[in-house]
Amino acid sequence: MELQKFYYDNKIVKMFAYATIFWGVVGMLVGVLIALQMVLPSANFGLAFTSFGRVRPVHTNAVIFAFVGNGIFTGYYYSLQRLLKTGMASNWMTRVHFWGWQSIIVMAAVSLLAGFTTGKEYAELEWPIDILIAVIWVIFGWNMMWTILKRRVKHIYVAIWFYIATFVTVAVLHIVNSMEIPWAIFKSYPVFAGVQDALVQWWYGHNAVAFFLTTPYLGLMYYFMPKAANRPIYSYKLSILHFWALIFLYIWAGPHHLLYQALPNWAQSLGTVFSIMLIAPSWGGMINGLLTLRGAWDRVREEPVLKFFVVAVTAYGMSTFEGPMLSLKNINAISHFTNWTVAHVHIGALGWNGFLTFGMIYWLFPRMFNTKLYSNKLANLHFWMGTLAMLFYSIPMYWAGWTEASMWKQFTASGDLVYPNFLEIVTQIMPMYYMRLFGGLLYFAGMFLLVYNIYKTVKAGSFVAMEAAEAPALEREGARKAGESYHRFLERRPVQFMLLSIVAVLIGGIVEIIPTFIIKSNIPTIATVKPYTPLELHGRDIYIKEGCYVCHSQMVRPFRSETERYGEYSKAGEYVYDHPFQWGSKRIGPDLFREGVKSGPLYKSDSWHYTHFMDPRKINAQSIMPNYTWLAENEIDIESTPAKIRVMQYLGVPYPEGYDLKASADAKAQAEQISAGLKTQGIDVAASKQIIALIAYIQRLGTDVGDSK
Amino acid sequence: MSNIDENKLHQGEPEIDELTKDRYLGGHEYDGIRELDNKLPRWWVYLFFVTIIFAVVYLLGYHVIKSESVKKLFPLQEAEYTNDSIAIAKLRGANPEPTVDLATMVPLTATTDLAAGEATYKKICFACHGPQGQGLVGPNFTDQYWIYGDTLTKTVSIQNLYQVVITGVIAKGMISYKDQLSPVQIQQVLSFILSLQGTNPPNPKPHQGVKYEKIG
Repeated sequence: MELQKFYYDNKIVKMFAYATIFWGVVGMLVGVLIALQMVLPSANFGLAFTSFGRVRPVHTNAVIFAFVGNGIFTGYYYSLQRLLKTGMASNWMTRVHFWGWQSIIVMAAVSLLAGFTTGKEYAELEWPIDILIAVIWVIFGWNMMWTILKRRVKHIYVAIWFYIATFVTVAVLHIVNSMEIPWAIFKSYPVFAGVQDALVQWWYGHNAVAFFLTTPYLGLMYYFMPKAANRPIYSYKLSILHFWALIFLYIWAGPHHLLYQALPNWAQSLGTVFSIMLIAPSWGGMINGLLTLRGAWDRVREEPVLKFFVVAVTAYGMSTFEGPMLSLKNINAISHFTNWTVAHVHIGALGWNGFLTFGMIYWLFPRMFNTKLYSNKLANLHFWMGTLAMLFYSIPMYWAGWTEASMWKQFTASGDLVYPNFLEIVTQIMPMYYMRLFGGLLYFAGMFLLVYNIYKTVKAGSFVAMEAAEAPALEREGARKAGESYHRFLERRPVQFMLLSIVAVLIGGIVEIIPTFIIKSNIPTIATVKPYTPLELHGRDIYIKEGCYVCHSQMVRPFRSETERYGEYSKAGEYVYDHPFQWGSKRIGPDLFREGVKSGPLYKSDSWHYTHFMDPRKINAQSIMPNYTWLAENEIDIESTPAKIRVMQYLGVPYPEGYDLKASADAKAQAEQISAGLKTQGIDVAASKQIIALIAYIQRLGTDVGDSK
Repeated sequence: MSNIDENKLHQGEPEIDELTKDRYLGGHEYDGIRELDNKLPRWWVYLFFVTIIFAVVYLLGYHVIKSESVKKLFPLQEAEYTNDSIAIAKLRGANPEPTVDLATMVPLTATTDLAAGEATYKKICFACHGPQGQGLVGPNFTDQYWIYGDTLTKTVSIQNLYQVVITGVIAKGMISYKDQLSPVQIQQVLSFILSLQGTNPPNPKPHQGVKYEKIG
């Protein structure tokens, strides 16, 4: 058979690898900053664009989509070409993919800091960037499928199965969860509201973890682990079963983020049981990774790359056991809204994604630069620093989570809360926040060892931009042959493989989402629930813009410990006009859903809120909330009122017809009233300032139901 | 990985991995990565089955079987809340609060009572009235000026203040604490507040209300 000559494009791999390292440093630096803000409120610098609510989404987005995202593409471009024995199908598509992705990251960072956010976690980016992401993602996927079709290898390897599932699922998740109607050039409202928005968001959010942080990395693991260990994959049969089980089951698990919340019970239960059923399929990947090392364990002691891989896969195994446990209602009742979740996700991010990326980078650079790694010693030191850092990070956070939950829930013998003052609990976990900061710094410091080591390696080597290779052309084979298994047949039918994975991932979403939308009894109507006034709507947009949801939930769960502390528990029907929902996922501060209820335990006066927003420490010396002084300086964007109202009307919020034109006047009148009230308390602030709108919104919270009691 | 026996691969004969004695799969070779023909680990298959059985039982228990005894084992969240509420009510019933006669109430002077009052103050009142009672968004407690005294008798009694705590001053942002504090706790915290008279903390809030001679 005639051998064909072709080239592997290493340049694109190098570009993505540099981007991975660069964004890794940035993402971790931002992480260290927000960890510092937890213990030192002055580290918010009193500025809008450096305040925690805006910076924290930059950290999550940078780590997930910039660091891990570029990490995926680094390993993907290296492995895909070699597994298929071909160069990429389109060079311009690879370049557009690279530069498109980097520009998305830059736009994301700038727009998030500027306060443009949809307020939906891990999907905060506004509509123009959402469209760009979809376009770039499709270019990446198109190029991949085209390359697969041009391959010189008959069957596609398990790593590529994971790449295909990643491509189709992320596309579906991103497009559905980003459906929004713009009311300005950089601002929009999501089409879903309340419970439905929450369900779609966590279907997305959970599967961003599944199909952005897990499946592509499993693909990388399946390539780099056997390559680095020079050992065969433990079990092909296990690959098949755990791959299909994983992608089919994962998609159902989203509702476990909403346990004990205003989601129908049946959807919560599906979230729980599918999470439990995920243990074995997830561990299939861990087993296939670790057992691939049989016969090579002696080398793990010397080879830093393998060390990183072993800890990465072990962290994956721990996370994917802990995750299902956290999906059990009785454990979730303790862990949810606490730092336990923060510890859990960082085992995944620092351990699984971080360590697999580091191992991959240490393995790739010497090969692409035709040299040896500059220093195995430094890489080993990085390994130990990173491992210790994970312990220093996670143990205090587990401890903090447990402490918070215990203090939130503890009753006295006479049936009162032992710690009715939320701040007392915040103060209690301060030492854990300090220890976490140290853990984060240690991990960050390790990153610089990598930078130095790679720099020296690059200096010593010479880059092979186009790596020559040769292989015979692929002979096309038709129908399934006698004795060929169905799956083996499918492995040489990539388009059918892709279609089948779409079917596998669509089922769960359809079964959970569609009934929640069309069956009325899932969200019983509450007659007293009315749309927000225009001023409250402006206030709500400011609440979203400043990222208040990052620290404050709006979801009182049906526990006595919460109804005692916050007031009546939340009902599904109360959120029907919330585009987007703002239930939150973390209580760094208290829940705010019943904040406006005058007969409730949380109610504060307008003047209290004003003073508190200006300087929370004037009211509570130990408060860690940032100052929001700019809210008293910046004007409400009153011009946008009609456009906002019209989009809300379009989305089904029952403002009377023609109300868009009267709304601004109503907003001004309500603002004047609040401003006049503040004046009687000796506070002079113009009715046109943002703080007035935010106070209006805060005082509205929870009152549709809470006050009728 | 360069030592693959091409002939054996093409003939489909099983080849054995020397280190593990496991069988290779013929024809499975991707960029030098080969795959072994190992079966699914037994324990893994059992684990998977156990989780599937768990899922079926869970869904049947919570959502399909309607019998009362099963529902008790699998309470939905609303039922759990009701059970919780009953338990707390029982707790409260078993430990009735000592009652206080409002008509004859006087400020307490025992150090234990004042310490208990201070603890409550630091939990709740300090947010609006300042850590030393100097006043913040709420009025100053350390001066002689009061808003809710009895202007006829020219006194501010603990009864007057008790009423404020029970009803709250909603218009100005003070909620009612009758559900959060027991009568004894209110008496203790008010005794502490009255003990702050004349302490002159730094940064006091300007006087509000009327000057009273008899306080407490």
